[in-house]
Amino acid sequence: MQFSEAWLKSLVDPKLPTAELGHLLTMAGLEVEALEPAAPAFTRVVVAEILSAEKHPNADRLQVCQVNVGEAAPLTIVCGAPNARAGLKTACALVGAQLPGDFQIKQAKVRSVESFGMLCSAKELGLSAEAAGIMELHADAPVGAALRDWLDLDDHLITLKLTPNRGDCLSVLGIAREVAALTGTALEGVDCSAVAAQVADAYSVVIEHAAGCPRYVGRVIRGIDPRAATPAWMVRRLERSGLRAIHPVVDVTNYVLLELGQPMHGFDLARLQGPIQARLARAGEKLELLNGECIEPAGDTLVIADDSGPLALAGIMGGNGTGVTEATVDVFLEAAHFAPDAIAGRARRHGLSTDSSHRFERGVDPELPRFAMERATRLILDICGGQCGPLVEAGPGAAAKAPVEFRPARARRILGFDLDDGAMLGILARLGMSVEPSGDGFRVQSPSHRFDISREVDLIEEVARIHGYDAIPAVALRGDHAMLPAGEGARSVIELKKLLVARGYQENITYSFTSEELDRDFRSQGEILPLLNPIASQMGVMRGSLLGGLVQSLRHNLNHGQERLRIFEAGRAFISVAAQDQPQRIAALAFGACRPEQWGERARPVDFFDLRADLDALLHPRAAEYRPGVHPALHPGQCAQVLLNGAAIGWIGSLHPRLTQKYGFAKAPVLFEIDLMPLVEQAAPRYQGLARFPAVRRDLAVVVDAALPLGDILTAVGAVKPALVADFACFDVYQGQGVEQGKKSLAFKMLLQHTEKTLTDSEIEAAVAGVLELLTQRFNATLRG
Amino acid sequence: MDAVAEINAFEAAALAAISTASDDAALEQVRIEYLGARSGRLKDLQSLLGKVPKEEKPAVGKRFNEVKNRVTEALDAAKGKAGATVKPKAGPGIDYTLPGLRPILGKRHPLMQTIAEFKDIMGRFGFTACDGPEIEDEWHNFEALNIPEAHPARDPLDNFYLATAKKGSGAARLMRSQTSTVQIRVMEGRQPPIRVISVGRVYRPDEIDATHHCMFHQMEGLMVGEGVTMAQLKTTLRLFAQAYLGHDVSVRFRPSFFPFTEPSAEMDIGCVICEGAGCRVCSHTGWLEVLGCGMVHPNVFGHVGIDGERYQGFAFGLGVERLAMLRYGVDDLRLFFENDARFLKQFA
Repeated sequence: MQFSEAWLKSLVDPKLPTAELGHLLTMAGLEVEALEPAAPAFTRVVVAEILSAEKHPNADRLQVCQVNVGEAAPLTIVCGAPNARAGLKTACALVGAQLPGDFQIKQAKVRSVESFGMLCSAKELGLSAEAAGIMELHADAPVGAALRDWLDLDDHLITLKLTPNRGDCLSVLGIAREVAALTGTALEGVDCSAVAAQVADAYSVVIEHAAGCPRYVGRVIRGIDPRAATPAWMVRRLERSGLRAIHPVVDVTNYVLLELGQPMHGFDLARLQGPIQARLARAGEKLELLNGECIEPAGDTLVIADDSGPLALAGIMGGNGTGVTEATVDVFLEAAHFAPDAIAGRARRHGLSTDSSHRFERGVDPELPRFAMERATRLILDICGGQCGPLVEAGPGAAAKAPVEFRPARARRILGFDLDDGAMLGILARLGMSVEPSGDGFRVQSPSHRFDISREVDLIEEVARIHGYDAIPAVALRGDHAMLPAGEGARSVIELKKLLVARGYQENITYSFTSEELDRDFRSQGEILPLLNPIASQMGVMRGSLLGGLVQSLRHNLNHGQERLRIFEAGRAFISVAAQDQPQRIAALAFGACRPEQWGERARPVDFFDLRADLDALLHPRAAEYRPGVHPALHPGQCAQVLLNGAAIGWIGSLHPRLTQKYGFAKAPVLFEIDLMPLVEQAAPRYQGLARFPAVRRDLAVVVDAALPLGDILTAVGAVKPALVADFACFDVYQGQGVEQGKKSLAFKMLLQHTEKTLTDSEIEAAVAGVLELLTQRFNATLRG
Repeated sequence: MDAVAEINAFEAAALAAISTASDDAALEQVRIEYLGARSGRLKDLQSLLGKVPKEEKPAVGKRFNEVKNRVTEALDAAKGKAGATVKPKAGPGIDYTLPGLRPILGKRHPLMQTIAEFKDIMGRFGFTACDGPEIEDEWHNFEALNIPEAHPARDPLDNFYLATAKKGSGAARLMRSQTSTVQIRVMEGRQPPIRVISVGRVYRPDEIDATHHCMFHQMEGLMVGEGVTMAQLKTTLRLFAQAYLGHDVSVRFRPSFFPFTEPSAEMDIGCVICEGAGCRVCSHTGWLEVLGCGMVHPNVFGHVGIDGERYQGFAFGLGVERLAMLRYGVDDLRLFFENDARFLKQFA
């Protein structure tokens, strides 16, 4: 909502500087989005009349003008504008004038002719961006008057960003009411008194859909002067509200819309056939709108129609061919009330947003149509002449609003400050509410323009708003507190992230949206989940895996000069729309050398086992089980499913060769993606006594089938828990010379320990033999000689 | 010989033996002979102490301890002297200016660092972090938040609905447009007192530019209890702003509108770029809008089965990106999602 400060001050003038007025509005919830002067600063520019314009003796394109600036003698001024001509009223900057852009006017010789000032274009005065020549002022302009006064340029344009509940402030009067309530300044009335009928024409109106259109006020005005012009003051107020002058009748309806907030429409009476109807659109009906577009309104759309069919999209836009034109002599004016529900969404459906639909969607004072009609009638008669018919009113009107209960004690309880009953009731009274005692509180009737007030809390908000949020004191946070239980061993996600960060990984945030193609490449579970209205096809579906985003990040970074990358992301993957099917995951990707280049270490490309070490670190102290797995994005021979306590929690592996090629990598990155929650939920550790007797290390090398996974042996030993064996780990895997073809040698390190005593040699030998026997029996292992 | 004389003799003999021992092996022999735990001569002396008359015991005991300590120290010193015979090889030292193994530390994402800081600050007020799904139903995203079916905010063009089920069918799902959904889920699950925050991704089909994105992060806060007031809301958020942005930050509250709170407010902070003088970032107002808040609307309490006459509550929601941009001076929101290592590594 944009309007002129001067217009507002004509209705209420709290005598505040502009900036303070802006602050007052902002702090009352009517946020000032922009506040700018109507014109930039300039001085000593007056209304002038060109008395004569002669060609310059020494220049083809210049004229030497005699200019009356209201002083005893005319001034000689050289001017280059083609429109400078005798009789023109224009703007003249006198010697000593300061113009925008730090430009000072001096007496000067222009090609040997003395010039005593400058005739100005609107552009030179900062009043418009472009200008074809010097300003052409109205013939009425008083010569010698300061231009700023004549054009009312010491004004400001104020733009408010209104919240959707404050439709009542979508008018200058509405804002003036607020200012009056906030400052206690008197509000000037707008003359909406009844205009007596001068002709008898009462055009008939039929309301078929009273829920959508509870009130329709119409009036005929006959015999307007087609040559009438909109007065300059009205044009100026319209322009400073962002509207162009079009036609006096249209201008008046726009003016009333801005002034009172009531959208109106003017029909050319000669184009109407039969009574006006307010009804829903019928199947197959078409309507050509004012903007030239032809639409077919849906069956839930309210239209204004006559016997020929729809004339206008009710409360949104008029139709082509029935509106007021330059040829119009007789007018039918409409001021109706449409329910927000009947208008909401309809304009947008046809790509429209109009001043009218904007207001009706938020609500308009249901009692306003009659007043707006009287106001518009008077203005049209003043400007265009003509004779008006009687005011025609149809429809039951909006339902009476129930009064709202208000308990000052509850207001104090919610707001948390002491404001006595009297002060609160005073605020409500300033807002035009009538208050009467009722039970332990009050019964409050709000005025019809405050259609947003329907509950006690609405009134509490009004009290706080007018009193000022700044006046609400700062008090300590106090109250009952129930802490939520937290798992005793649970780790925070941040702890897990820090662990990866310490191991060299950079955290990424990739989009939850992805392209369908990428999702097909990486999704291992669930169906593709497309969006109804994506903003772009590469953001068309919800990701089923975090791996795709990391692969894209790798590609971006390789394109920007990185050679080695460690990245991870924690976030949700979307398996289905069900709340429990949006698991939080943590995924990581490693690419490039295993360590940054250094003089003392040989570079080696990162491999599966580097990444596995990082994943093991995340899981520590628990150990995952790795089983051969199948994942659409991972290399079939280098992909493991990760299990924790027997439950599958994710995958680890190298990128599938097909995708490595598709995404243009010289070598396959290694990746993992696992569920986050199993990592977070961790049992608290239980203390175990420290061994007081030294452990003994024994190594054991055995030969087994080359195909036997090490994990099988570790699992078996872990399950059997051989006596005295405190630790059992593989430290070497060997195939080649000295080991039979198809076999491999595995070397294990064993720590043997007794909690009660120091072990004897024979006890140690027996323990080692026990393990060897287990390996021999279960895995056909032989001791390596 | 009395006990003191015996002790003195022991001292003299032991010190003499230490001074004549030539190497560590000899010193070890001396140690075993004089101080050995099983059969050293000190052990014999100790047994003498038991026979000393009671009145002499303090003096003799003191002397015994002196000697024991002195001999032990002399032995340790002599052993050190023996080690001192090992001489470092002559020749150049190492080049200290050669780099060690380059530290390979990653960084947490700046938005995640911001979120962690928010959680920490709110945690000090007793707010626990809660979580909820990102694909939501219309009940949690709209209905329960007092945004009825006909509300313009529910327009499919202003939301990311999933294509799976029709809007209004009850089975319709959309990407949550606000973290307020978690408010509802929390209040559905328990009765007051409640103090929770929820931080996470939200989705709106906004035009993507330097300050807008179709995916961003929000933090939502909710406190419900008896006697929770708007005054407390102001205090909480002022302290939050000061904890995050510094004690000299100025804040103001002005009335606003949200369907799920009333009274509603927006909190502005004094522009941290121009310090209130007016600049491009604050649109020359001197203030930056950072969050929306208010008292929980009675309709919301009604939807989740909390008695709105007995309990009161406040809620707030803020954009994480906006505050992170202010904190780090980032001028383009899109950088947060490009994952460019050159950008991310700056946030140590």
